[in-house]
Amino acid sequence: MQLEARAEHIHDELIRQCLQGDNNSYQRLYKLYSRSMYNVGYRIVNNADEAEDVLQEAFISAFKNLHHYRGDSTFGAWLKRIVVNKALNQISKRKFERIPENEQWDIAEETEKDELENFPFTVDKVKRAIELLPDGYRMVLSLYVMEGYDHQEIAEILNITESTSKSQFNRSKKKLKEILTNSRFKIE
Amino acid sequence: MKDSLNKFIHQNRDSFDDKQPGENVWRKIAATLPPKKTISLWNSVSVWRAAAILCMGVGAYFFVTGRQSLFQKTEMAELQSEFLDLEVYYTTEIEEKVALISSFDEAEEPDQFTQDFQKLEAMYQVLREQLKTQPTQKVTDALILNFLVRIDLLNQLLHKLEQYKTYNKGKHSST
Repeated sequence: MQLEARAEHIHDELIRQCLQGDNNSYQRLYKLYSRSMYNVGYRIVNNADEAEDVLQEAFISAFKNLHHYRGDSTFGAWLKRIVVNKALNQISKRKFERIPENEQWDIAEETEKDELENFPFTVDKVKRAIELLPDGYRMVLSLYVMEGYDHQEIAEILNITESTSKSQFNRSKKKLKEILTNSRFKIE
Repeated sequence: MKDSLNKFIHQNRDSFDDKQPGENVWRKIAATLPPKKTISLWNSVSVWRAAAILCMGVGAYFFVTGRQSLFQKTEMAELQSEFLDLEVYYTTEIEEKVALISSFDEAEEPDQFTQDFQKLEAMYQVLREQLKTQPTQKVTDALILNFLVRIDLLNQLLHKLEQYKTYNKGKHSST
């Protein structure tokens, strides 16, 4: 925790140098965050080329608006939110239904059962299974489990209700389990 | 929400960030950045100038005298390849220092120091050309001396900038 705080402090200094027009610091910031942010975008758009576009747009926008970053959140959290928004824009460009509007998604909150006890899967398998999830499921699951947003934040990001986010998350976990355990999904 | 999937992902969180963006992404981002500010708090100190001028003199001297002695072909090649390694090392060091200097925000009009530094760079280019056609130990020595003097200048400038920064910080915190 202390280390994280120190890392953030170092990045604040970098940001200050960026604001003073030092291009070298921009590149250092990019190097520090590009991998994790690329993966954030990738998990949403599920496509390498589009994830690169998202990363590029997000960094350009972040650098342009760097003076708006006030240090209320960590720089990483601020940047991540930009990446998520750009990724969602990218998805909407595809004209896919992000979250189906009809009411069947607004189901009552399900009681949570831990159906995947001991979790006998590898990282690669889980990654592959997440990639196979439908867009809406994958987004909610990624935002919640990977990016650490709570359902209230996800509701705001995806412009859905909190209960939709919760039910969508439960459904996505079920679907994930199905992909992981059902042999008809070739994820080996 | 502590279920096994959550736990598993948290335990392996880093392994899930395994994908790397392509090299071209940064190039496209960099193209949108404002042009690089040139930092030049080149307040000349007489010592710097003396060193720079000495180095230019040495360079010029070897430029003239270096022509007279010709090495055997193998020796020439050896000398050239040996120097290439040194060149990479010193160039990187200079680039790092220049980058560090550009990270300071004190931007002023270029003055004597910039000019001296540019002259040294020009002299370096001349010597570098000579190394291609007539490589002698003297030429490589002059080239290395040129590097060392430039690095020394940069070090001194960095030191000065650090002092300036600390001074400014003190000033800001007191107001």
